[in-house]
Amino acid sequence: MNRVIVSRPLSEVEAAPKPATDSQPRARKPLSPRDALALLASLRLTVVLFVLAFVLVFCGTLAQVDAGIWTVVKTYFRSAYVWIPFQIFVPRSVQVPGGFPFPGGWLIGGLLLANLLAAHVVRFRLTWKRAGILLIHSGLVVMMLSELVTGLFAVEGIITIVEGGSSSFLELHDQNELAIIDPSDLEVDHVVVIPESLLKEDGLIRDDRLPFDVEPVRYMVNSTAPQEVDPGAPNPATAGDGKKAIVRPRPAVTGIDREQSSDVPSMYVAFKKKGGGESLGTYLVSNWWSDYLERHGEYRPQRVQVNDKTYDVYLRGKRIYKPYSVYLKKFHHTLYPGTDLDKSFSSEVRLVDPTRHEDREIEISMNEPLRYAGETFYQAGFIPGDLGTRLQVVRNPGWLMPYVSCVMVAVGMLVHFGLHLAGFLQRRYAA
Amino acid sequence: MNRFARFLPALVVLLALAYVVSHAVSRKEASRFHFQELAGIPVRENGRVKPLDTVARNTLMVISKRRYFNDEEKKEQPAIRWLMDAMTGKAGGHEVFRIEDDQLLRLLNLKPKPLFYRYSPDEIAPKFDALAQQAKQALALPDDQRDMFNQNVLRLSRQLDLYMSLQDLAAPSLLMVAPASENEEWRGLTEMSAHIKSGDNPAALAISRLLMAYAGEKADAFNQELVSYEQWLGEHLADSASKAQFEVFFNRAEPFYCCSLLYVIMFLLVCVSWVCYSGPLNRAAFWLGVVALAVHSTAILARMYLLNRPPIINLYSTAIFIGWGCLLLGLIIEEIFRNGLGNVVGAVAGAATTLIAHNLSTDGDTMEMMRAVLDTNFWLATHVVIINFGYAATFVAGIVGAAFILMGVFTRALQPQRLRVLGQVIYGTICFATLLSFTGTVLGGIWADQSWGRFWGWDPKENGALLIVLWNALILHARWGGMVKQRGMAVLAVFGNMVTAWSWFGVNMLGVGLHSYGFMEGAAFWLIAFEVSQLVLIAIGCLPSAYWRSFKAKALLGYVY
Repeated sequence: MNRVIVSRPLSEVEAAPKPATDSQPRARKPLSPRDALALLASLRLTVVLFVLAFVLVFCGTLAQVDAGIWTVVKTYFRSAYVWIPFQIFVPRSVQVPGGFPFPGGWLIGGLLLANLLAAHVVRFRLTWKRAGILLIHSGLVVMMLSELVTGLFAVEGIITIVEGGSSSFLELHDQNELAIIDPSDLEVDHVVVIPESLLKEDGLIRDDRLPFDVEPVRYMVNSTAPQEVDPGAPNPATAGDGKKAIVRPRPAVTGIDREQSSDVPSMYVAFKKKGGGESLGTYLVSNWWSDYLERHGEYRPQRVQVNDKTYDVYLRGKRIYKPYSVYLKKFHHTLYPGTDLDKSFSSEVRLVDPTRHEDREIEISMNEPLRYAGETFYQAGFIPGDLGTRLQVVRNPGWLMPYVSCVMVAVGMLVHFGLHLAGFLQRRYAA
Repeated sequence: MNRFARFLPALVVLLALAYVVSHAVSRKEASRFHFQELAGIPVRENGRVKPLDTVARNTLMVISKRRYFNDEEKKEQPAIRWLMDAMTGKAGGHEVFRIEDDQLLRLLNLKPKPLFYRYSPDEIAPKFDALAQQAKQALALPDDQRDMFNQNVLRLSRQLDLYMSLQDLAAPSLLMVAPASENEEWRGLTEMSAHIKSGDNPAALAISRLLMAYAGEKADAFNQELVSYEQWLGEHLADSASKAQFEVFFNRAEPFYCCSLLYVIMFLLVCVSWVCYSGPLNRAAFWLGVVALAVHSTAILARMYLLNRPPIINLYSTAIFIGWGCLLLGLIIEEIFRNGLGNVVGAVAGAATTLIAHNLSTDGDTMEMMRAVLDTNFWLATHVVIINFGYAATFVAGIVGAAFILMGVFTRALQPQRLRVLGQVIYGTICFATLLSFTGTVLGGIWADQSWGRFWGWDPKENGALLIVLWNALILHARWGGMVKQRGMAVLAVFGNMVTAWSWFGVNMLGVGLHSYGFMEGAAFWLIAFEVSQLVLIAIGCLPSAYWRSFKAKALLGYVY
C-alpha cells in the first residue's frame, strides 16, 4: 500500500468547503457581504438546488397524469412556489389528502443563476483549465434566460385555412372568447368579444357595446362531443342548435392523454334584452361544431335575433389579427399504402403582406417550417377530411438563444472533459 | 503463463465465430415445398416492403410469442409454413394461440397445458361464440375499467381476427400483389380477383397459383411456379427482391439472439476468472466481447440498410442500441484498466438489453414505418442517437457503481488501488454521460423548435431526459465540492440507473400505469422490480463502513471518509 491519499483534481481543492467548526461555540456575527457572497457561490448550494430542481421536474411530470401540460407549466415551472399534492405519488384509485409547498421553477432557476454568477465572481480566473467551465456555464446562463424570455414573451397561435380560402388571424389555444358579430354592414363585420375570464364568472355581463345582456350559465373548459337529444329530454339549452344536441363537461386534457390532444371548450349562455328585459333563450356555443368547420373553416355560429337584427355568436379561440393573409392553395396528406399511418402532411400556401410588399408562394411541411418577419409557421394539423390545414404560428424573440447555448455548452464540455481525459491518459501511460 | 492460457482467447473467438456463422447458414429443409425460396418473396405489409418470411415470423410472434411452431408430431416447423397453412385453411390443428389465463381457459373449456400454453384454432372453435360474447362486453367497458380477464379476452379475439383475416386472404395491411415496377402501388389479393380470372396481372396470377398448388398439395407445380415468379421479380422488382432476400438471411441469422448467448458466456468467463486463470479468462472474455460487438454492430447496420434509416426508430431499437453503447464503453474501459470490470459491464448490459429487446418485439414488426412527425433522418441520426448513447453511458456508470458497492460490502476485493480505479471509471463515465445527455436533450429541444416552434415544452419525455442531465450534473458538482468521494459517487451513480430506467420506460407508462388494472402486468412490473432492486443496492451502499468487508482492515478505516 504505497498511496493512501487520493490526489484530487485542482478544481476540487479550490472548491472544497472549509471544515465545519460546529463543535466550538461561535459568536453570532452578522453575515458580512463577503460571507454572503461566498455562501451564495458555494457548491453545496448548487447541489441542493440540483436536488430541488430534480424533485420539481419529477413532480411536474407526475402531475401531468391528471393536469394539462399548460396548467403544470404555469403552476410548477413558471412560478415562484407550488403546492404539490401527495396524490400525484400514488395510484389514483387511492385517495390521499394534503400536500406540501415547494419552490417553483422561477425560484429554483433564479437561485441557480445567482449561484452560478456568484461562483464565477468569487472564483473567476481566466486559465485554460477553467475556460471550458466558463463556456459551459455561460451557455447555461443563455439557456436559462431563453426559458425566461420564452415564458414571458412567446406567443403561439393557430391559423386554420380551408383549401382555396385564406385567413389573416391566429387563434390562441389557451384562451377563448365569446364573439358577438353584427354582419349587417356589407363592408365590415362589427364584432364585440367577451374574454374567457368573464365567461367563467357568474352574473350578468352588461356593456353598451353589446346588443344584448349576456349571462353565462355554465362554462366548460373541455367538453364531450355533442350528442343528439330528444326534444322532451332535460336540456339546459332553450334555443339554437343546443336544443338538438347536448354536451357535458369533461376534465381538461392531461399531458399524457391519448384520446384527445387539446381541450374543446363549450358553454351554455343565456341572452337577455337590454335593461333586464325578456330572455332571448339559453344557447349552446361550442368549439365542437366541426361539420360546419369542415365545410367553412369556421365554427358554426348561433344566430340570436333581437329588435329585427340577427347576430352571429361564436365561442372561439382568442383571435389576433395580422397584417398579412395566408392563402391555402392545396393541402397534401399521404398515408403509407395499405395502412392508416400518416406518412406526410404539407400545405402549399401563398403569403401576401401589403405592409411589406410581400407576395410569395411556399410549401410548408412537417419539420420544414416557414420563417417570416419574426414569426414561424409550422404544419401542425388539418381539418378532418383533409379539407384544409392548421398551421401553428409562433413568435418567440428568444428562439435563437438555445442554439447559441447548445454550441457554447457542447464546446465547453469538449474542452473541459477533453483536457481531463488527455491528462488522465497521459498520467496513466507515463506510469 | 502456460501455452493453453495464451491460446485461450483465440480459441474462444474461433468457437464464437463458428457458432455465429453456423447459426446463419444452417438450413433445416425437409419439405417437398421449397419454403426457403418462398420466404424471400417480397410483399408489402404495414407500409413496408418485406419478405413473406418476416410477415410469417412477426404474425406468429404476436399470436404465439415464438417465431416457429410445433406440428402435430411435435416437430419444430418454420413460421413460413404456418403462414401458408393459415392462408390455405390447413392451420386449424396447429397449436399456436398462447393462452395462460385460467379464467379464459375455463371459458373456452380447455385443459391447462403447463409450460406450453398453446392451443389450436380447432380447440378454440367450439366456444368461439362465448368468446365473442365476452369480447363484446369487454369492449363496451372504458379502457381503465378492464381487468386482466377482459384484456386477455380482447387480446385473444384480436389474435383470432388476425388469423381469420389471413385465412380469408383479406388482411387489410398485407398487400401481396407486386407492382410491375418499383414505383407503382402494391395491391391486396382480394381486390385483384378480377385480374386473376382474366390473367392479365402476372404477379396476382403467380400468388394465386402458388396458394392453389399449396392447397392442393402439388409440390412440383408449387416449386415450378415459385421459380418462374422469382424470375419475374428479378426482371421487374430486382431491388425489392434482393433486399427481401437479405432480410430472410437476417431473420435466419438471428444476430441478437446469438449475441445474447455470447453475453452470457462472457459473463460466465469473468465469473470463473474471479476463481482462477484470472488474466487469460478476462482476456478471453474481452475478445468474446469484441466478437459480440462485431455481430451486434453488423446487425444494427443491417437494420439500417433494410429500413434506410438511422439506427434508432422505435423503443425496440433503443434497447438494441443502448446495449451496443454499453458494450462499446465496457470494452473501452476493459482495454484501459484490464481488470474484468469492463467485461462485466458489457456482458450484463448486453444480456439485459437483448432480453428487453426480445420482450419488446412481441407486438409485431420491429422495423416499422415512421409517423409523419418523426420522418426526418437528420434528427433521428443526431438527437436520438446521442440521447440513447447518453442513457448507455449513465447505465455504465450505474453498473460500475453497483459493482463497487457489491465488491466493497461483500468481498475484500475493494482495496485502495481498485477503489481508486473504480472511482476514476465512474467519474469519467459520468462526465461522458453528462456531455451526451445534455447535448442530446438540447438537440431534442432544437428538433422540437424546428417542428413546432417550441424549444422546450416540459412534456414527460423531455422531463425524463432533463432529469438525467440534472442527476449527472449533480454527481459531478457533489464530487467537485468534496461532498462525495468514490463511495458516494458509486451510490449516486446507482440512483442514476433508476433515473435512466424511469426516463426510458417509466414516462411511457404514466398514462396506462397509474389507473389501470394492467399496471402490475408486464413491463411496469419489471420496471418497478428494477427500481426496487436499485434502491436495495443504494441502501447497502449506505451501510456504515464498518459493515463493508473491504474496509474492515483497520488501516483503511480512516481512509474511506
